[in-house]
Amino acid sequence: MGRAVTLEKVQKPHMSTFFDSATTYIESTPGAAERLALWNAFRSVGLPTVSDEVWRYAPLSQLTLDSFQVPTSPGSFPSSALSDKLTKNASFVIRTIDGFLTDSPSLPSGVTATVVSSGVSLGERSFLDRYGDDAFALLNGASSPGTLEIRVAAKVHVEEPIFLVHAASNSSSFPSVHVCVEVGAHIDIIECFVGGRGSLVVPLSEYELADNASLNLATYQQLNATAWHVARSTALLHRDSRLHQSVIGLGSHYNRSRNDAEFLGTGAENELRTTFLGSGEQVHDFRSHQLHKIGRTRSTLLSKGAVSDHSRSVYTGLIEIENGARRTDARQTNHNLLLSSTAHADTVPNLDIRENDVVCAHASSVGPLDEMQRWYLESRGVPRDEAERLMIQGFFNEMTDSLPGEVAHLVELEVGKILASTHVVAS
Amino acid sequence: MSSVLEINDLHVKVASRDILRGVSLTMHSGEVHVIMGPNGSGKSTLAHALTGRPGYEITKGSVKLDGTELLNLPPDERARLGLMLALQQPLEVRGVRPVELLVAAGANPVGIKERIREEAELVDLRPELLDRFVNVDLSGGERKRAEMVQLGILRPKFAVLDEIDSGLDVDALGAVARRLQLATTQWSCGVLAITHFRRLLQELTPDVIHVMSEGRIVTSGGPELAETLERDGYEPFRSLSD
Repeated sequence: MGRAVTLEKVQKPHMSTFFDSATTYIESTPGAAERLALWNAFRSVGLPTVSDEVWRYAPLSQLTLDSFQVPTSPGSFPSSALSDKLTKNASFVIRTIDGFLTDSPSLPSGVTATVVSSGVSLGERSFLDRYGDDAFALLNGASSPGTLEIRVAAKVHVEEPIFLVHAASNSSSFPSVHVCVEVGAHIDIIECFVGGRGSLVVPLSEYELADNASLNLATYQQLNATAWHVARSTALLHRDSRLHQSVIGLGSHYNRSRNDAEFLGTGAENELRTTFLGSGEQVHDFRSHQLHKIGRTRSTLLSKGAVSDHSRSVYTGLIEIENGARRTDARQTNHNLLLSSTAHADTVPNLDIRENDVVCAHASSVGPLDEMQRWYLESRGVPRDEAERLMIQGFFNEMTDSLPGEVAHLVELEVGKILASTHVVAS
Repeated sequence: MSSVLEINDLHVKVASRDILRGVSLTMHSGEVHVIMGPNGSGKSTLAHALTGRPGYEITKGSVKLDGTELLNLPPDERARLGLMLALQQPLEVRGVRPVELLVAAGANPVGIKERIREEAELVDLRPELLDRFVNVDLSGGERKRAEMVQLGILRPKFAVLDEIDSGLDVDALGAVARRLQLATTQWSCGVLAITHFRRLLQELTPDVIHVMSEGRIVTSGGPELAETLERDGYEPFRSLSD
């Protein structure tokens, strides 16, 4: 697997400031024994390399852990115009810096936010069982200052969204979040990631929705263009629960976002919408795994992204339907817009279906702007640049239309800003 | 001020085939010219070549609007000088709304939604259909009415209509024809309508009818020419193109 070289690098304490900082932090932090177990698991797994199929698009040769240190306290983070705009009219804003909870306001009745041990999974599977082969998740479990657990009590319907602002300074950070929505409860969460010049940001999130619970979640990643962002989320969906999850990735140098859902009760639904716009040399690497363990569950995935300049993207989505999960309805759609001849997009839908009585569909496309549509706009008097801008924004409209207003507006502005500085090539 | 559109000896190739082989035509503001002709005679090619559609290669000739050569200009500049093509099959542009298209095309944004509503009413189009993305989820008839809404907002000096009547029911055809007729007096719009069918002319009064065959205009005349075509078909005119 080509991991030995990297592993050896990590194991040399005298050469590795990351190693030093991690072991020092782990030994002096509550739960040291559990953290150490995860750290050792990380050491035996080692960082992945591009010879691992699921990491083949990541510029891992440029990732040197020794450039980072595990933070022992929140770094300095003055402010972020983006998060200020996003939360301008917000009533409830929870803030973390480098994964440390720094600001937790009084929350609506029935909602709590507490910090619990990191490296612990929701549901029946243990952390090690779930993430035993995922180096970054193991790093998060070992090095996170703790898991921010947001819990919504049974039957509580929270009217106003809770905002969750994750700021990163310029080293590594391992934010960990659990959202537990109890029976019949509902909450909207808007999450953003900002800052992180030259940083490595490794968020790990789990969402557990009890029977008939619902969660609308929008995650907007707008880290500095020099950051590494390696995120993973897992949703556990019980009977008749509904997760509507939007993930928008515009920032960072390497943006990996893996979003999984496990369907554990009949009637559970997951709508996952992922959006990205690549520019410069960015790599956007989206993964999803919808695991239907139970029948009469529904997953709908829509991914739309564009790549410009020398950027590239990959979408790999797996729908897995277990034997007996009858009347599962699982759909995956992935559209990619190529805005330059040097940009590249891959789309890899995978199906693993072990039951006949299901509806399962996938569609994908990769292509440039439609020349005839552009001509149609031009023939009405729309200058070419403007026609292209309208079409690209139109491509994203389907995604931004479903976002909460505060996020949609900011995403549209940022997309406009990126496009203004990129040269678009149509078919 | 009266405007003039002058097409002179226009030759056009599409996919390496000569389609137009010397089309000449001059029209003025407020006039209605109709081009009729059999399938494959080059009528639609003329319409699309005027607006600079990709893949249409002009090999010879000139098209001037008020003395300015259009053929050297990109499509948007031709449009801004006052030439608009309404398509036989208006394209869907998913994600872009008509109001955005019109403002980007130079329409005054002040009060534009109200003007769009007024224009929609003129052609019996439910205004809420124009809140959808451009031509998305509209029927063929609704799309053509929507093209007329764009025409009413953009107010081109000359409107070129590529078989705007094809696939329209009688009601839609009447609405479109009446809108065009009104445009000729509202802002002296010149109308160049390409059609197979005489029925468009029941509500849109032509000043000149041109018959096209094999890439050329083979004869021109008054409204009475339509009756001749109705009676005798295009066959007698084919020999004129040789």
